[in-house]
Amino acid sequence: MIFSPRSTTGALALGTGLLLLLPLAGLDHFLLDVLASGFLLAAYVGSWDIVGGVAGQICLGHALFFGTATYSCALLTSLAGWPFAAAAAAALLLSTTAAAVVGTFSGRLKGPFIALLTLALGELAHEVALGQTFFSPRGAYSWGGEGGIPVALPWGSPSPWASYYGALLFLFLSTWGMTRIARSKDGLIWTAISGSELTARASGVDVARHKRRAFLVAGLLAGAAGVGFAAHVGRATAADFSLELSFQAATFAAIGGRGTIVGPVLAALLLHALFQGAGIAPAARVLLYALALLLVLRFFPAGVAGTLRERVRERNMVPEGASR
Amino acid sequence: MLPFAQVLLDGLFTGSTYALIAAGLALILGVVKVVNLSHGAFFSLGAYIAYALSTKGVSNPAVAVLLACVIAFAFGVFLGKSFINPVRSHPFSVAVGTLGFAILFEQAAQMLWGPHPVSIGAGPPWAVVDGVVVRRWGAISLIASTVILLAIALFLHSRFGLPVKLIAEEEEIAESVGMDVEKIRYLTFGFASAAAAAAGVLLAPATSITPTMGRVPLILSLIVVIASGMENIAAIFLLAVGLGLLSNVSAYLFSPQWSYVSLLSVICLLLLLRPEGLSATMPGRDY
Amino acid sequence: MRRLVAACLPGIVFALAALLILLPEGWPQAGTGDPLRIGVLAPLSGPFASGGSAFLQAVTLAAEQANSEGGVLGRRVELLVADTQGRVDIARSEAMRLVSREKAFALVGAYLSEETVGVIEVASAGKAVVIVPVAATAEITDHVRREYDRYRYVFRIGYSIPQWAEMMADFLGRQGYTRYAFVGAGIRWNRELSRELGKALARRQVALVYEAFYSSRNPAFESVAVAVAAAAPEVLVLGDPGGNAAEFVKRVREGGATFPILSVGGTLGDARIAATLPLSAPLYVQAAAWKGASPAATRYAEAFERRYGYAPVGYSDTLPYDAAMILFQAIRAAGRTDSDAVVKTLEAGAFPGIAGTYRFDSSHQAEWGTRELRGNVIRWEPGGARIVYPGSKKR
Repeated sequence: MIFSPRSTTGALALGTGLLLLLPLAGLDHFLLDVLASGFLLAAYVGSWDIVGGVAGQICLGHALFFGTATYSCALLTSLAGWPFAAAAAAALLLSTTAAAVVGTFSGRLKGPFIALLTLALGELAHEVALGQTFFSPRGAYSWGGEGGIPVALPWGSPSPWASYYGALLFLFLSTWGMTRIARSKDGLIWTAISGSELTARASGVDVARHKRRAFLVAGLLAGAAGVGFAAHVGRATAADFSLELSFQAATFAAIGGRGTIVGPVLAALLLHALFQGAGIAPAARVLLYALALLLVLRFFPAGVAGTLRERVRERNMVPEGASR
Repeated sequence: MLPFAQVLLDGLFTGSTYALIAAGLALILGVVKVVNLSHGAFFSLGAYIAYALSTKGVSNPAVAVLLACVIAFAFGVFLGKSFINPVRSHPFSVAVGTLGFAILFEQAAQMLWGPHPVSIGAGPPWAVVDGVVVRRWGAISLIASTVILLAIALFLHSRFGLPVKLIAEEEEIAESVGMDVEKIRYLTFGFASAAAAAAGVLLAPATSITPTMGRVPLILSLIVVIASGMENIAAIFLLAVGLGLLSNVSAYLFSPQWSYVSLLSVICLLLLLRPEGLSATMPGRDY
Repeated sequence: MRRLVAACLPGIVFALAALLILLPEGWPQAGTGDPLRIGVLAPLSGPFASGGSAFLQAVTLAAEQANSEGGVLGRRVELLVADTQGRVDIARSEAMRLVSREKAFALVGAYLSEETVGVIEVASAGKAVVIVPVAATAEITDHVRREYDRYRYVFRIGYSIPQWAEMMADFLGRQGYTRYAFVGAGIRWNRELSRELGKALARRQVALVYEAFYSSRNPAFESVAVAVAAAAPEVLVLGDPGGNAAEFVKRVREGGATFPILSVGGTLGDARIAATLPLSAPLYVQAAAWKGASPAATRYAEAFERRYGYAPVGYSDTLPYDAAMILFQAIRAAGRTDSDAVVKTLEAGAFPGIAGTYRFDSSHQAEWGTRELRGNVIRWEPGGARIVYPGSKKR
């Protein structure tokens, strides 16, 4: 009952409504900025859940798609002089292509090997981004590497309110889209593949094609989050390909509940807002994060939303009076 | 040709370094099938213990290895009992939880020993043969990695290793014949952590020790163990040495900047050509 | 009971999160009166925590020093600390917190180039003065030069990459070398440094015989060490400031190479690390200032060691101290906490610091490489460090 489509949409609407009204409660620029970043991060984590949770293909290099988008935006606008809209479209295309490539390769691979392939590709992209520099048109210094490349935005300094609502709209649309896809025919096939590839194949499913499709969707959405990030922050750095960012997607998804979409999105948003917005000392923040991982997963092994969903299902399946 | 001979020897040593670090992960990932993302943290733990002992004047590596193994074993068993066993029905959550432990360790190390890099004095090279320098810590990792991996392989093929292999393959059967599956699992995890810490002690003098030093060794270990197929200890060693040689030779002949990229590219190529890993002998396994 | 607690746990966590977010809380505000709030931005967690924590320690020492002298314009200096985590988006957001929420008057930071570019963008929009102690990218001063009206609040204390190269080249030229090698990490600023150093040394007829950059994540040290030795330079310049540099020195010496090494500083300026390195051949370290170079430098080094238990390494802990002190001096000289007034005093004045006397050029870059401000080069010896540049003063 808790996780029926209607109630999820209802909860989504409620949450979005709250977030729409939140700035009116008097949040300052800083919190608006933190929350805007949080929305983008949440969308990024949600996109991981499509391929890593619903489709069950553990991707440890998700930052590859994110970074491809941010870097494309930066390079195309700053070096090639493209307008931002065109660069954004190209960035989406490139990140989706990268996802298609990864998806095709993962067709033949199983489980840990997909994790390894995505890990290696993410690290590869990170190394290339670190090592490859470009001469800025202004001369005298270079762009790229660890210092990053600026994104030439058409607007001067965006108003924090515009960033907030823009990111919120993006998060709402992408989460709604992702939950719809997860419940669609494709999503059900992905769930089947996630459960047992052998059984799915035996049922006549073209496993390789559906894996590729899952990666495509995930890559597209991660790329969109990357474009949003490039617009919000105004700079793309090699850290956008980093292992830490890839692991962050997997970790928040684990805490939230792998496969539930809403769980990872909420977990990412809440944790990011908490850690960045609440003024916690650095050492305490890191310790809190690590402890949260350990404690949440210890008591909610499938993530918060995932465990709740499992319990609801268990309760619905066991008839009254029967012993477990 | 002399510098090239040096490069080859160094590549062999680098590869054996990878093998040494990966040994513990081979046991836990290859056999018990638990993705241990705290492997790098135990490696760092060993290095810090070696450092702590050296500041107190104790420079005997055997003492450091022993102490590190004991402490790491204790932590490993604790982690295994308190987290890994209870959560083992969700392998992905186990992996993420071990990552949480790694982050915890990094922060604890930063608080205990500071964020600055620390160092232990490395001794002079072991020998110089015909102008080729035999680096001390390279030779140690070659010997130690061979010993540890051989020990693991022998253990698995022996009578004592049978329960461990049975648990990895058919846990229900193991339980039904009365094996204490939980105990064997956390003991194995303890041993794997001890192996990682031993690697940390042995490699500490050759590196600079920082709280986040375990991150790259973790990635390298995952690469080596998974890409080799996770089942064959010999394949793990061979792949590790191969990657070490590749990294050093490509750095020498082409560009040092892209040595890591060439290593990663070869791994991707390997996965494309042999999707079941290097040593795949069994038909497709359903995960 | 456990199940009950476990069931309540998510609710408790969410409620706590909501509470913490909505509370207008920042860092704890201590003290009474009207303190002068200065923001400090540095990476305090993650891979760059080493430099960042030294940065914070130095600025804290500066603030304590200023407060012991009666504060700035009669007001106590209060530091607002922000952890940038080495990321540009976090650095921007923390700068926003310091400027718009905590009402910091001025900022000292950040540490990495990419963080700093984000910080100056935010700070300039909020008209807060920013003193940049270490980030060396030319992008910062380029912004000041091209968009002066917007970025005039930004000043850089630390040396730019061409200045850095010039100071090192001056030392190397005086030593009389004719062939040099450069080894650095495969990061952008190391490559820029190598390029600038090449130009500066070419002017002094010193030829480059080998140049390599190793991967910073998984470096193949041995191959580079072998190749460098084969090229037989008279001196090796090491551009990597991180822990990898110490490893590399060990490798090079293990291979038997006896050419001197000049490091850009950072980890190799740490006495505790140097004590574990083989000194079979000279190891030089370039620094902004060193104990014994001047009475001010000696006082600072002793105060730092007394307070924190280790000797400063001369870059990420010296420059931030000077940055804070110069900021305080400029505010005192301006007479009031008005950003534009402080900018004018900084542009016009000369400010004594540990490393020398700071003057700023038209791009708000401190003029390093003059007699009054040219850094030091030290040589590690079994007993400690000896200053070898400028001149040959003994400790």
